Amino acid sequence: MVQVTIPADVKELIAKRGLKEADVLAVVNDAAASKKYIKKGNMGLAKKVIGDLTVYVMSDLSGSGTAVVKTAYAHKMKLGKIVNVMSETEWKTADGKAVAQGHVEIEYMTVKRNGPALVDVASNEAYVEEYLATKTLAAAEGLFEKKRA
Amino acid sequence: MGYEDMFPPMDSRWHGNATKRFASPFVDKPHDRIDVDPIILSNAAVSCGYTIRDFYEHPTLGIHCVGYISHLFDLLPVTHWFFSLPWVTELGLKLVYKETLPPISTGPIYSTPEDVDKMHIPSKDELIKKQGQHATVPLFYNLYDYVAKNLPMTLVPISYGFDLVGAAAELIGVENFIMWTFTEPEAAQKLVQNYTDTAINGAEALADKYGMAMLIVGSVLGNNDIFSDEAVNDYSVKNMYRYVDGCFKHGAGPQIFYHLCGNHQTDYKMFKDGLMWSPFTVIHAGYQGRNPFPSKLLKETFEDKATCMGSVDTKLMIDNNPNKVYNQAKEQLLQGRDSKKGYILGTSCETPPYTIPGQMLALVKAARDFGTYGTW
Repeated sequence: MVQVTIPADVKELIAKRGLKEADVLAVVNDAAASKKYIKKGNMGLAKKVIGDLTVYVMSDLSGSGTAVVKTAYAHKMKLGKIVNVMSETEWKTADGKAVAQGHVEIEYMTVKRNGPALVDVASNEAYVEEYLATKTLAAAEGLFEKKRA
Repeated sequence: MGYEDMFPPMDSRWHGNATKRFASPFVDKPHDRIDVDPIILSNAAVSCGYTIRDFYEHPTLGIHCVGYISHLFDLLPVTHWFFSLPWVTELGLKLVYKETLPPISTGPIYSTPEDVDKMHIPSKDELIKKQGQHATVPLFYNLYDYVAKNLPMTLVPISYGFDLVGAAAELIGVENFIMWTFTEPEAAQKLVQNYTDTAINGAEALADKYGMAMLIVGSVLGNNDIFSDEAVNDYSVKNMYRYVDGCFKHGAGPQIFYHLCGNHQTDYKMFKDGLMWSPFTVIHAGYQGRNPFPSKLLKETFEDKATCMGSVDTKLMIDNNPNKVYNQAKEQLLQGRDSKKGYILGTSCETPPYTIPGQMLALVKAARDFGTYGTW
Protein backbone atom coordinates (compact mmCIF):
# COMPACT_ATOMS: atom_id res chain seq x y z
CA MET A 1 0.00 0.00 0.00
CA VAL A 2 1.41 3.36 -1.01
CA GLN A 3 1.06 6.35 1.28
CA VAL A 4 -0.84 8.96 -0.73
CA THR A 5 -0.77 12.67 0.12
CA ILE A 6 -3.06 15.21 -1.50
CA PRO A 7 -1.88 18.78 -0.82
CA ALA A 8 -4.54 21.40 -0.06
CA ASP A 9 -4.20 23.22 -3.39
CA VAL A 10 -4.62 19.95 -5.27
CA LYS A 11 -7.67 19.07 -3.16
CA GLU A 12 -9.13 22.39 -4.28
CA LEU A 13 -8.38 21.61 -7.94
CA ILE A 14 -9.88 18.13 -7.60
CA ALA A 15 -13.08 19.57 -6.15
CA LYS A 16 -13.22 22.23 -8.87
CA ARG A 17 -13.05 19.50 -11.48
CA GLY A 18 -15.87 17.59 -9.83
CA LEU A 19 -13.70 14.68 -8.76
CA LYS A 20 -13.83 12.88 -5.42
CA GLU A 21 -10.78 12.45 -3.22
CA ALA A 22 -11.75 8.81 -2.71
CA ASP A 23 -11.59 8.24 -6.45
CA VAL A 24 -8.19 9.89 -6.66
CA LEU A 25 -6.92 7.61 -3.90
CA ALA A 26 -8.40 4.60 -5.65
CA VAL A 27 -6.59 5.47 -8.89
CA VAL A 28 -3.22 5.69 -7.14
CA ASN A 29 -3.70 2.62 -4.96
CA ASP A 30 -4.89 0.47 -7.87
CA ALA A 31 -1.95 1.56 -9.99
CA ALA A 32 0.51 0.85 -7.21
CA ALA A 33 -0.94 -2.63 -6.74
CA SER A 34 -1.13 -3.52 -10.42
CA LYS A 35 2.03 -1.65 -11.52
CA LYS A 36 -0.02 -0.28 -14.40
CA TYR A 37 1.05 3.32 -14.73
CA ILE A 38 3.58 5.36 -16.67
CA LYS A 39 6.48 7.46 -15.45
CA LYS A 40 8.46 10.50 -16.54
CA GLY A 41 11.31 11.13 -14.15
CA ASN A 42 9.80 11.05 -10.68
CA MET A 43 6.29 11.70 -11.92
CA GLY A 44 3.82 8.88 -12.30
CA LEU A 45 0.58 8.98 -14.29
CA ALA A 46 -2.14 6.48 -13.44
CA LYS A 47 -5.71 6.10 -14.64
CA LYS A 48 -8.85 4.23 -13.75
CA VAL A 49 -12.30 4.09 -15.28
CA ILE A 50 -14.78 5.12 -12.57
CA GLY A 51 -18.40 5.21 -13.66
CA ASP A 52 -18.62 7.25 -16.86
CA LEU A 53 -15.28 8.92 -16.30
CA THR A 54 -11.69 7.99 -16.90
CA VAL A 55 -9.86 9.54 -13.96
CA TYR A 56 -6.14 10.34 -14.12
CA VAL A 57 -3.81 11.14 -11.28
CA MET A 58 -0.30 12.50 -11.64
CA SER A 59 1.85 11.97 -8.58
CA ASP A 60 5.38 12.65 -7.43
CA LEU A 61 6.87 9.24 -6.65
CA SER A 62 10.29 10.42 -5.49
CA GLY A 63 9.72 9.35 -1.88
CA SER A 64 9.96 5.72 -0.87
CA GLY A 65 6.49 4.16 -0.75
CA THR A 66 4.81 7.54 -1.11
CA ALA A 67 2.85 9.36 -3.76
CA VAL A 68 2.25 13.11 -3.58
CA VAL A 69 -0.62 13.97 -5.87
CA LYS A 70 0.20 16.85 -8.19
CA THR A 71 -2.94 16.95 -10.27
CA ALA A 72 -6.01 14.92 -11.17
CA TYR A 73 -8.35 15.21 -14.12
CA ALA A 74 -10.84 13.19 -16.08
CA HIS A 75 -12.58 12.83 -19.42
CA LYS A 76 -15.91 11.35 -20.39
CA MET A 77 -14.83 9.87 -23.71
CA LYS A 78 -14.04 6.18 -23.65
CA LEU A 79 -10.66 5.16 -24.99
CA GLY A 80 -10.60 2.27 -27.44
CA LYS A 81 -8.05 0.53 -29.61
CA ILE A 82 -4.70 2.06 -30.51
CA VAL A 83 -4.92 3.59 -33.97
CA ASN A 84 -1.29 4.46 -34.59
CA VAL A 85 2.03 4.69 -32.84
CA MET A 86 4.36 7.60 -33.54
CA SER A 87 7.65 8.65 -31.95
CA GLU A 88 8.76 7.63 -28.48
CA THR A 89 8.22 10.06 -25.64
CA GLU A 90 9.99 10.65 -22.35
CA TRP A 91 7.31 8.57 -20.66
CA LYS A 92 8.10 4.96 -19.69
CA THR A 93 6.01 2.14 -18.34
CA ALA A 94 6.49 1.11 -14.70
CA ASP A 95 8.90 -1.59 -15.91
CA GLY A 96 10.86 0.85 -18.08
CA LYS A 97 9.46 0.23 -21.57
CA ALA A 98 9.03 3.13 -23.96
CA VAL A 99 5.69 4.90 -24.24
CA ALA A 100 4.98 6.54 -27.59
CA GLN A 101 2.90 9.41 -28.83
CA GLY A 102 0.05 8.10 -30.94
CA HIS A 103 -3.69 8.01 -31.42
CA VAL A 104 -6.50 5.94 -30.01
CA GLU A 105 -10.07 5.43 -30.92
CA ILE A 106 -12.33 7.44 -28.64
CA GLU A 107 -16.03 6.94 -28.23
CA TYR A 108 -18.60 9.43 -27.04
CA MET A 109 -22.37 9.38 -27.46
CA THR A 110 -21.97 6.27 -29.69
CA VAL A 111 -19.67 8.13 -32.08
CA LYS A 112 -16.17 6.75 -32.61
CA ARG A 113 -13.40 9.08 -33.69
CA ASN A 114 -9.66 9.44 -33.07
CA GLY A 115 -7.75 11.42 -30.52
CA PRO A 116 -4.12 11.88 -29.53
CA ALA A 117 -2.78 9.91 -26.57
CA LEU A 118 0.28 8.37 -25.02
CA VAL A 119 0.26 4.73 -26.04
CA ASP A 120 1.83 1.71 -24.40
CA VAL A 121 1.68 -0.93 -27.11
CA ALA A 122 2.89 -3.75 -24.86
CA SER A 123 -0.07 -3.46 -22.50
CA ASN A 124 -2.43 -1.98 -25.12
CA GLU A 125 -3.10 0.93 -22.79
CA ALA A 126 -3.45 4.62 -23.62
CA TYR A 127 -3.15 7.69 -21.42
CA VAL A 128 -4.40 11.19 -22.14
CA GLU A 129 -2.27 14.05 -20.87
CA GLU A 130 -3.82 16.82 -18.79
CA TYR A 131 -3.84 19.53 -21.44
CA LEU A 132 -5.62 17.24 -23.89
CA ALA A 133 -8.18 16.00 -21.37
CA THR A 134 -9.04 19.35 -19.84
CA LYS A 135 -8.93 21.42 -23.02
CA THR A 136 -9.15 19.48 -26.29
CA LEU A 137 -11.31 16.53 -25.24
CA ALA A 138 -13.46 18.67 -22.95
CA ALA A 139 -14.21 21.00 -25.87
CA ALA A 140 -14.81 18.02 -28.15
CA GLU A 141 -17.28 16.51 -25.66
CA GLY A 142 -19.15 19.82 -25.68
CA LEU A 143 -19.23 19.85 -29.48
CA PHE A 144 -20.51 16.27 -29.63
CA GLU A 145 -23.28 17.13 -27.19
CA LYS A 146 -24.24 20.21 -29.21
CA LYS A 147 -24.08 18.54 -32.62
CA ARG A 148 -25.89 15.39 -31.51
CA ALA A 149 -28.70 17.41 -29.94
CA MET B 1 -23.84 52.55 -41.97
CA GLY B 2 -22.28 49.18 -41.16
CA TYR B 3 -22.14 46.36 -43.66
CA GLU B 4 -24.82 44.56 -41.65
CA ASP B 5 -27.36 47.10 -42.92
CA MET B 6 -26.73 46.07 -46.51
CA PHE B 7 -27.79 42.44 -46.21
CA PRO B 8 -31.21 40.91 -45.51
CA PRO B 9 -31.34 38.82 -42.35
CA MET B 10 -30.24 35.21 -42.57
CA ASP B 11 -32.98 32.70 -43.34
CA SER B 12 -33.24 30.67 -40.16
CA ARG B 13 -35.04 27.78 -41.90
CA TRP B 14 -32.22 27.39 -44.39
CA HIS B 15 -29.63 27.84 -41.69
CA GLY B 16 -31.22 25.25 -39.39
CA ASN B 17 -31.19 22.61 -42.10
CA ALA B 18 -27.64 23.48 -43.18
CA THR B 19 -26.47 23.24 -39.57
CA LYS B 20 -27.85 19.73 -39.16
CA ARG B 21 -26.28 18.74 -42.47
CA PHE B 22 -22.93 20.27 -41.49
CA ALA B 23 -22.91 18.23 -38.26
CA SER B 24 -23.63 14.97 -40.10
CA PRO B 25 -20.15 13.70 -40.86
CA PHE B 26 -18.80 14.49 -37.41
CA VAL B 27 -21.45 12.77 -35.32
CA ASP B 28 -22.60 9.89 -37.54
CA LYS B 29 -26.05 11.39 -37.83
CA PRO B 30 -26.79 11.60 -41.56
CA HIS B 31 -28.97 14.52 -42.57
CA ASP B 32 -29.98 15.58 -46.06
CA ARG B 33 -26.91 15.13 -48.27
CA ILE B 34 -23.14 15.37 -48.48
CA ASP B 35 -22.16 18.95 -47.75
CA VAL B 36 -20.44 21.15 -50.32
CA ASP B 37 -17.56 23.46 -49.44
CA PRO B 38 -16.07 25.24 -52.45
CA ILE B 39 -13.83 27.27 -50.08
CA ILE B 40 -15.64 30.41 -51.06
CA LEU B 41 -13.66 33.61 -50.42
CA SER B 42 -13.52 36.65 -52.68
CA ASN B 43 -16.04 34.98 -55.01
CA ALA B 44 -18.63 35.82 -52.37
CA ALA B 45 -17.77 39.53 -52.59
CA VAL B 46 -17.75 39.43 -56.39
CA SER B 47 -21.14 37.70 -56.32
CA CYS B 48 -22.47 40.58 -54.20
CA GLY B 49 -21.13 43.26 -56.53
CA TYR B 50 -17.83 44.02 -54.85
CA THR B 51 -14.24 43.47 -55.90
CA ILE B 52 -11.57 41.02 -54.89
CA ARG B 53 -9.75 43.85 -53.19
CA ASP B 54 -12.92 44.83 -51.30
CA PHE B 55 -13.09 41.33 -49.89
CA TYR B 56 -9.61 41.50 -48.41
CA GLU B 57 -9.53 45.19 -47.51
CA HIS B 58 -12.86 45.05 -45.69
CA PRO B 59 -12.94 41.74 -43.82
CA THR B 60 -16.33 42.32 -42.19
CA LEU B 61 -17.86 43.02 -45.60
CA GLY B 62 -16.10 39.94 -46.94
CA ILE B 63 -17.34 37.61 -44.24
CA HIS B 64 -20.89 38.92 -44.51
CA CYS B 65 -20.77 38.21 -48.26
CA VAL B 66 -19.60 34.65 -47.49
CA GLY B 67 -22.55 34.10 -45.15
CA TYR B 68 -25.00 35.54 -47.63
CA ILE B 69 -23.78 33.67 -50.70
CA SER B 70 -23.53 30.40 -48.75
CA HIS B 71 -27.32 30.55 -48.49
CA LEU B 72 -27.71 31.21 -52.22
CA PHE B 73 -25.88 27.99 -53.08
CA ASP B 74 -26.94 25.97 -50.02
CA LEU B 75 -23.35 25.64 -48.78
CA LEU B 76 -22.04 25.61 -45.21
CA PRO B 77 -23.86 27.33 -42.32
CA VAL B 78 -20.63 28.79 -40.97
CA THR B 79 -18.64 31.82 -42.07
CA HIS B 80 -14.95 32.26 -42.67
CA TRP B 81 -12.58 34.89 -43.99
CA PHE B 82 -8.86 34.53 -44.48
CA PHE B 83 -5.86 35.03 -46.71
CA SER B 84 -2.66 33.05 -46.88
CA LEU B 85 -0.29 35.28 -44.92
CA PRO B 86 -1.45 35.63 -41.32
CA TRP B 87 1.18 36.44 -38.65
CA VAL B 88 3.80 37.71 -41.11
CA THR B 89 3.46 41.42 -40.35
CA GLU B 90 4.14 40.55 -36.71
CA LEU B 91 7.42 39.04 -37.89
CA GLY B 92 8.32 42.13 -39.89
CA LEU B 93 6.90 41.69 -43.41
CA LYS B 94 4.92 44.45 -45.07
CA LEU B 95 1.78 43.57 -46.99
CA VAL B 96 0.03 45.51 -49.71
CA TYR B 97 -3.43 45.13 -51.17
CA LYS B 98 -3.83 44.24 -54.83
CA GLU B 99 -6.81 44.62 -57.10
CA THR B 100 -7.01 40.98 -58.13
CA LEU B 101 -5.08 39.16 -55.43
CA PRO B 102 -5.09 38.66 -51.68
CA PRO B 103 -2.58 40.90 -49.86
CA ILE B 104 0.99 40.12 -50.87
CA SER B 105 4.38 40.83 -49.35
CA THR B 106 6.49 43.77 -50.51
CA GLY B 107 9.53 41.50 -50.31
CA PRO B 108 11.75 39.44 -48.04
CA ILE B 109 13.24 40.95 -44.90
CA TYR B 110 15.83 38.35 -43.96
CA SER B 111 18.72 37.03 -46.02
CA THR B 112 21.05 35.02 -43.79
CA PRO B 113 20.76 32.19 -41.26
CA GLU B 114 22.05 34.65 -38.64
CA ASP B 115 18.94 36.76 -39.27
CA VAL B 116 16.81 33.74 -38.41
CA ASP B 117 18.75 33.18 -35.18
CA LYS B 118 17.93 36.75 -34.16
CA MET B 119 14.20 36.52 -34.96
CA HIS B 120 11.89 37.56 -32.16
CA ILE B 121 8.81 35.36 -31.74
CA PRO B 122 6.01 37.64 -30.57
CA SER B 123 4.27 36.56 -27.38
CA LYS B 124 0.51 36.25 -27.13
CA ASP B 125 0.29 39.68 -25.49
CA GLU B 126 2.47 41.27 -28.15
CA LEU B 127 0.24 39.77 -30.84
CA ILE B 128 -2.87 41.13 -29.14
CA LYS B 129 -1.35 44.60 -28.85
CA LYS B 130 0.05 44.69 -32.40
CA GLN B 131 -1.28 47.60 -34.42
CA GLY B 132 -1.80 48.10 -38.14
CA GLN B 133 -4.29 46.99 -40.73
CA HIS B 134 -2.85 43.50 -41.10
CA ALA B 135 -2.20 42.85 -37.40
CA THR B 136 -3.63 39.36 -37.22
CA VAL B 137 -5.15 39.07 -33.75
CA PRO B 138 -6.86 42.49 -33.75
CA LEU B 139 -8.09 41.81 -37.28
CA PHE B 140 -9.70 38.52 -36.29
CA TYR B 141 -11.02 39.87 -32.97
CA ASN B 142 -12.77 42.62 -34.93
CA LEU B 143 -14.01 40.15 -37.52
CA TYR B 144 -15.42 37.61 -35.06
CA ASP B 145 -16.92 40.33 -32.88
CA TYR B 146 -18.75 41.53 -36.00
CA VAL B 147 -19.97 38.02 -36.77
CA ALA B 148 -20.98 37.42 -33.14
CA LYS B 149 -23.10 40.56 -33.32
CA ASN B 150 -24.54 40.30 -36.81
CA LEU B 151 -24.35 36.65 -37.91
CA PRO B 152 -24.06 34.86 -34.58
CA MET B 153 -25.40 31.53 -35.76
CA THR B 154 -22.57 31.32 -38.31
CA LEU B 155 -19.71 32.04 -35.92
CA VAL B 156 -16.84 29.59 -35.75
CA PRO B 157 -13.73 31.34 -34.43
CA ILE B 158 -10.90 30.06 -36.59
CA SER B 159 -7.18 30.48 -36.09
CA TYR B 160 -5.12 30.13 -39.22
CA GLY B 161 -1.71 28.56 -39.22
CA PHE B 162 -2.40 28.23 -42.91
CA ASP B 163 0.73 27.52 -44.94
CA LEU B 164 3.44 27.20 -42.31
CA VAL B 165 6.18 26.59 -44.87
CA GLY B 166 5.00 29.05 -47.49
CA ALA B 167 4.41 31.93 -45.10
CA ALA B 168 7.76 31.37 -43.39
CA ALA B 169 9.44 31.22 -46.80
CA GLU B 170 8.12 34.70 -47.62
CA LEU B 171 10.36 36.09 -44.89
CA ILE B 172 13.49 35.21 -46.88
CA GLY B 173 11.92 34.85 -50.32
CA VAL B 174 10.46 31.61 -51.62
CA GLU B 175 13.29 30.86 -54.06
CA ASN B 176 15.86 31.51 -51.36
CA PHE B 177 13.95 29.26 -48.97
CA ILE B 178 13.94 26.40 -51.46
CA MET B 179 17.70 26.84 -51.84
CA TRP B 180 18.14 26.87 -48.07
CA THR B 181 16.44 23.50 -47.78
CA PHE B 182 19.56 22.17 -49.56
CA THR B 183 22.26 24.51 -48.31
CA GLU B 184 21.02 25.67 -44.89
CA PRO B 185 18.48 23.06 -43.78
CA GLU B 186 18.78 23.88 -40.07
CA ALA B 187 18.10 27.56 -40.67
CA ALA B 188 15.21 26.71 -43.00
CA GLN B 189 13.71 24.45 -40.34
CA LYS B 190 14.24 27.08 -37.64
CA LEU B 191 12.51 29.68 -39.80
CA VAL B 192 9.42 27.51 -40.21
CA GLN B 193 9.41 26.68 -36.50
CA ASN B 194 9.58 30.38 -35.60
CA TYR B 195 6.61 31.13 -37.82
CA THR B 196 4.77 28.11 -36.40
CA ASP B 197 5.39 29.19 -32.81
CA THR B 198 4.10 32.68 -33.62
CA ALA B 199 0.94 31.14 -35.07
CA ILE B 200 0.53 29.02 -31.92
CA ASN B 201 0.71 32.12 -29.73
CA GLY B 202 -1.90 33.71 -31.96
CA ALA B 203 -4.19 30.70 -31.69
CA GLU B 204 -3.99 30.98 -27.91
CA ALA B 205 -5.05 34.64 -28.12
CA LEU B 206 -8.13 33.64 -30.11
CA ALA B 207 -8.94 30.64 -27.90
CA ASP B 208 -8.66 32.79 -24.78
CA LYS B 209 -11.25 35.21 -26.10
CA TYR B 210 -13.69 32.80 -27.75
CA GLY B 211 -13.27 29.67 -25.64
CA MET B 212 -12.06 27.61 -28.57
CA ALA B 213 -10.55 28.17 -31.99
CA MET B 214 -10.83 25.87 -34.95
CA LEU B 215 -7.44 25.34 -36.58
CA ILE B 216 -6.81 25.59 -40.29
CA VAL B 217 -3.38 24.56 -41.39
CA GLY B 218 -2.13 23.41 -44.74
CA SER B 219 0.72 22.16 -46.81
CA VAL B 220 0.78 24.47 -49.79
CA LEU B 221 4.37 25.28 -50.71
CA GLY B 222 5.20 21.87 -49.26
CA ASN B 223 4.05 19.79 -52.22
CA ASN B 224 5.49 17.41 -54.77
CA ASP B 225 5.89 20.04 -57.50
CA ILE B 226 8.65 21.55 -55.37
CA PHE B 227 9.77 19.08 -52.73
CA SER B 228 10.48 15.38 -52.27
CA ASP B 229 8.27 13.35 -49.95
CA GLU B 230 10.99 13.52 -47.30
CA ALA B 231 11.25 17.31 -47.52
CA VAL B 232 7.47 17.67 -47.33
CA ASN B 233 7.60 15.52 -44.22
CA ASP B 234 10.48 17.42 -42.62
CA TYR B 235 9.28 20.94 -43.29
CA SER B 236 5.54 20.64 -43.56
CA VAL B 237 4.17 17.55 -41.80
CA LYS B 238 6.37 17.88 -38.72
CA ASN B 239 5.55 21.55 -38.31
CA MET B 240 1.84 20.93 -38.86
CA TYR B 241 2.05 18.45 -35.98
CA ARG B 242 4.00 21.00 -33.92
CA TYR B 243 1.35 23.61 -34.68
CA VAL B 244 -1.67 21.50 -33.73
CA ASP B 245 -0.03 20.04 -30.63
CA GLY B 246 1.10 23.52 -29.55
CA CYS B 247 -2.36 24.95 -30.17
CA PHE B 248 -3.99 22.14 -28.17
CA LYS B 249 -1.57 22.82 -25.30
CA HIS B 250 -2.77 26.43 -25.34
CA GLY B 251 -6.48 25.71 -25.46
CA ALA B 252 -7.16 26.07 -29.20
CA GLY B 253 -8.93 23.39 -31.22
CA PRO B 254 -10.41 20.80 -31.12
CA GLN B 255 -11.59 21.23 -34.72
CA ILE B 256 -8.90 20.92 -37.37
CA PHE B 257 -9.01 21.43 -41.12
CA TYR B 258 -5.95 20.08 -42.93
CA HIS B 259 -5.59 21.54 -46.41
CA LEU B 260 -3.15 19.78 -48.73
CA CYS B 261 -3.04 22.32 -51.53
CA GLY B 262 -1.43 21.75 -54.90
CA ASN B 263 0.15 18.50 -56.09
CA HIS B 264 0.47 15.79 -53.45
CA GLN B 265 1.29 13.02 -55.92
CA THR B 266 3.11 10.77 -53.46
CA ASP B 267 3.76 12.89 -50.37
CA TYR B 268 0.17 12.36 -49.17
CA LYS B 269 1.44 9.18 -47.49
CA MET B 270 3.60 11.25 -45.14
CA PHE B 271 0.58 12.92 -43.56
CA LYS B 272 -1.25 9.78 -42.51
CA ASP B 273 0.94 8.91 -39.55
CA GLY B 274 2.59 12.29 -39.18
CA LEU B 275 -0.30 14.55 -38.26
CA MET B 276 -2.25 14.93 -35.03
CA TRP B 277 -5.87 13.85 -35.33
CA SER B 278 -8.67 15.12 -33.14
CA PRO B 279 -12.29 13.91 -33.02
CA PHE B 280 -13.26 16.80 -35.32
CA THR B 281 -10.76 16.68 -38.13
CA VAL B 282 -11.27 17.18 -41.86
CA ILE B 283 -8.53 16.39 -44.36
CA HIS B 284 -8.65 17.85 -47.85
CA ALA B 285 -6.29 17.13 -50.73
CA GLY B 286 -6.25 19.24 -53.90
CA TYR B 287 -4.39 17.51 -56.68
CA GLN B 288 -2.46 14.39 -57.56
CA GLY B 289 -0.24 15.53 -60.39
CA ARG B 290 -2.38 17.71 -62.62
CA ASN B 291 -5.62 15.93 -61.74
CA PRO B 292 -7.90 16.41 -58.74
CA PHE B 293 -6.81 14.14 -55.91
CA PRO B 294 -8.89 10.96 -56.32
CA SER B 295 -11.42 10.57 -53.55
CA LYS B 296 -10.91 6.80 -53.67
CA LEU B 297 -7.29 7.26 -52.66
CA LEU B 298 -8.18 9.95 -50.13
CA LYS B 299 -10.69 7.59 -48.56
CA GLU B 300 -8.34 4.59 -48.55
CA THR B 301 -5.60 6.63 -46.92
CA PHE B 302 -7.44 8.76 -44.42
CA GLU B 303 -10.93 7.41 -43.71
CA ASP B 304 -9.80 5.79 -40.46
CA LYS B 305 -8.39 9.11 -39.30
CA ALA B 306 -10.74 11.90 -40.29
CA THR B 307 -13.60 13.22 -42.36
CA CYS B 308 -12.42 13.34 -45.99
CA MET B 309 -12.99 16.31 -48.29
CA GLY B 310 -12.70 15.56 -51.98
CA SER B 311 -11.96 17.96 -54.78
CA VAL B 312 -13.31 19.18 -58.07
CA ASP B 313 -10.72 20.96 -60.19
CA THR B 314 -11.01 24.70 -59.56
CA LYS B 315 -10.32 25.35 -63.27
CA LEU B 316 -13.68 23.81 -64.07
CA MET B 317 -15.44 26.43 -61.97
CA ILE B 318 -14.62 29.01 -64.65
CA ASP B 319 -15.12 26.69 -67.65
CA ASN B 320 -18.39 27.42 -69.40
CA ASN B 321 -19.51 23.81 -69.41
CA PRO B 322 -21.43 22.98 -66.20
CA ASN B 323 -21.43 19.28 -67.03
CA LYS B 324 -17.65 19.16 -66.57
CA VAL B 325 -18.17 20.20 -62.95
CA TYR B 326 -21.19 17.94 -62.51
CA ASN B 327 -19.49 14.85 -63.92
CA GLN B 328 -16.26 15.31 -61.99
CA ALA B 329 -18.23 15.97 -58.80
CA LYS B 330 -20.25 12.81 -59.46
CA GLU B 331 -17.07 10.79 -59.93
CA GLN B 332 -15.56 12.10 -56.71
CA LEU B 333 -18.79 11.61 -54.75
CA LEU B 334 -19.16 8.01 -55.89
CA GLN B 335 -15.59 7.33 -54.80
CA GLY B 336 -15.71 9.08 -51.46
CA ARG B 337 -19.25 9.41 -50.17
CA ASP B 338 -19.11 6.30 -47.96
CA SER B 339 -15.93 7.33 -46.14
CA LYS B 340 -16.13 5.95 -42.62
CA LYS B 341 -15.99 9.29 -40.85
CA GLY B 342 -17.94 11.21 -43.44
CA TYR B 343 -17.25 13.02 -46.68
CA ILE B 344 -17.51 16.62 -47.89
CA LEU B 345 -17.41 17.67 -51.53
CA GLY B 346 -15.07 20.55 -52.18
CA THR B 347 -13.01 22.21 -54.84
CA SER B 348 -9.24 21.68 -55.05
CA CYS B 349 -8.62 25.06 -53.45
CA GLU B 350 -10.48 28.36 -53.10
CA THR B 351 -13.11 28.56 -55.80
CA PRO B 352 -11.97 31.26 -58.27
CA PRO B 353 -13.21 34.80 -57.67
CA TYR B 354 -15.08 34.78 -60.99
CA THR B 355 -16.61 31.34 -60.55
CA ILE B 356 -19.58 30.97 -62.88
CA PRO B 357 -22.81 30.65 -60.86
CA GLY B 358 -23.98 27.79 -63.10
CA GLN B 359 -20.85 25.85 -62.19
CA MET B 360 -21.50 26.34 -58.47
CA LEU B 361 -25.02 25.05 -59.07
CA ALA B 362 -23.60 22.01 -60.90
CA LEU B 363 -21.40 21.23 -57.90
CA VAL B 364 -24.31 21.38 -55.46
CA LYS B 365 -26.64 19.53 -57.83
CA ALA B 366 -24.16 16.66 -58.01
CA ALA B 367 -24.14 16.50 -54.21
CA ARG B 368 -27.94 16.36 -54.21
CA ASP B 369 -28.07 13.73 -56.97
CA PHE B 370 -25.28 11.47 -55.75
CA GLY B 371 -24.73 12.48 -52.13
CA THR B 372 -28.18 12.29 -50.58
CA TYR B 373 -28.00 10.09 -47.50
CA GLY B 374 -30.05 6.91 -47.69
CA THR B 375 -29.81 6.61 -51.46
CA TRP B 376 -26.75 4.40 -51.65
